[in-house]
Amino acid sequence: MIAVVRSEWIKLRSVRSNVSTAIVAVAIPLLITLLSVAFMGETSIDDSTLSDFVLGTGSIAVLLIGVIGVLCITQEYSQGTIRLTLAATPGRTKVYAGKALLMVIFGAALTGFIILVSLVVGSLILESRDVPGPHASMSAGLLAMVLMGALVALLGMAIGTLTRNPPSAITTLVLWPLLVEGIVGGLLSIAVDDDVRRWMPFQSGFNSMFPELPDNGFTRWESLGYFAAWVLVVTVLAERRLKRRDA
Amino acid sequence: MIVVEGLTKKYGSTVAVDDLSFSVQPGVVTGFLGPNGSGKSTTMRCMIGLDRMQSGRALFDGKNYADLKQPLREVGTLLDAGNAHAGRSARNHLRWMAVSNGLSPKRIDEVLAIVGLQDVARKRVGEFSLGMKQRLGLASVLLGDPRVVILDEPANGLDPEGIRWIREMLKHLASEGRAVLVSSHLLSEMALIADELVVIGKGRLIEQCTVDQFISRHARKWVVVRSPQLGTLVDVARAKGMQVATNDTTAEFHGVASEIIGELAAANGVVLHELSTQTGSLEDAFLEVTASSVEYHGRTEVSS
Repeated sequence: MIAVVRSEWIKLRSVRSNVSTAIVAVAIPLLITLLSVAFMGETSIDDSTLSDFVLGTGSIAVLLIGVIGVLCITQEYSQGTIRLTLAATPGRTKVYAGKALLMVIFGAALTGFIILVSLVVGSLILESRDVPGPHASMSAGLLAMVLMGALVALLGMAIGTLTRNPPSAITTLVLWPLLVEGIVGGLLSIAVDDDVRRWMPFQSGFNSMFPELPDNGFTRWESLGYFAAWVLVVTVLAERRLKRRDA
Repeated sequence: MIVVEGLTKKYGSTVAVDDLSFSVQPGVVTGFLGPNGSGKSTTMRCMIGLDRMQSGRALFDGKNYADLKQPLREVGTLLDAGNAHAGRSARNHLRWMAVSNGLSPKRIDEVLAIVGLQDVARKRVGEFSLGMKQRLGLASVLLGDPRVVILDEPANGLDPEGIRWIREMLKHLASEGRAVLVSSHLLSEMALIADELVVIGKGRLIEQCTVDQFISRHARKWVVVRSPQLGTLVDVARAKGMQVATNDTTAEFHGVASEIIGELAAANGVVLHELSTQTGSLEDAFLEVTASSVEYHGRTEVSS
């Protein structure tokens, strides 16, 4: 298994498009956070402002990381290397598990890196503006964001395995939370009294990263657990598909 | 050694490979021949578990491919030279494969040198010509120093020097005691490379034998005669019902042994300057055998 993970790591970092996607995934949330703390009015800044800004970029950060999850499998199909991968490691569950483990580690590490750099550089900016600290503080929301990074990377890979096509997988990953859940959630909210948005998988996952939880009856970890359950279902479907399909 | 037994692969109601059995011995190059769409590539994919076969099995030294712990050390496969990420360097392409099977990084440099790509190891595969991709594909085959080698159309895209190189490489690999299975549509090349043949048509085994046996069984044979009294000999032969085609200086006798023509010439006082038996090529034999298995036929005339 270690050999598969190491091999997948070489694949991931030896392609320029993966590296540039990772750079974009770090740069966009980082820039948003740093520009916000640099230009926000001093009187509005308190101890939690910096970490709130980081959490505010959580959804875009984890979706960009999810794109890397998509690419790690779809480029195997688009470039034909899936046949070499499965010839080198005939156990398909092992291949899937190796890739998935790498995505979990990579997704969590990249999200952690975004948080760390945002907090450190954001604090320096605030100190340079003579705003009294402390500015950087860890919170349950930030931990949830790290876990979301891992889960969305895993989900991206699962969607990529099911579609095998980079554009359709990326479109699915992005439109699902931004459009489908918005429309379905909005329509159901009109028809049903209950806050149905909490049952939307991505919305639930994003809720776990909010500084202030919405009052929908779910705790932070219940929201995250609900999203994780969806990720698990799609992952199981994708693994079974990989096992049964001709390569 | 490779043993394929009763391999059957269906796509819906279409039978791509039908109860196919053959073996590939170590120490020889076995050519895998069949018309386009006859199931050669499908068979190779099924053998290494990329495609699921409906029934049958393929054993490599007695083991299923799926049961090999580090398959690249046992079986080297090149199915399509295009199966390499265009954005990855040649060296990294081999590196991930080597790491997945616990192979030494030193081996990467060795195989790059063997295939002559050491100077472009850091170049991206997308910048490679088809011939260079074939060489990279062969490097990946050699990576684990396997005892079994399976290659699908390895000469595709290679220039004459490259084709000669791959021919010598395959012969060398077989001479080291490896079992080599290679498909190619270049029949003249196959005649030079292969010792054994597995010929299939419409997914079924037509014949497994040596190249010489295949040609002698299926290729056309005829006798060429050159003589200053050619007309006399041809007239006598035709009077006896023999099939003869003539041009200015020679005659070709079909369906008759050279001994009979020699005796006929002697009996009629005809002086012979040449009496030789000619045999068709592997291509002739292949076309003869697979005529009924060809899926798509073309015409040579282009205007109506």
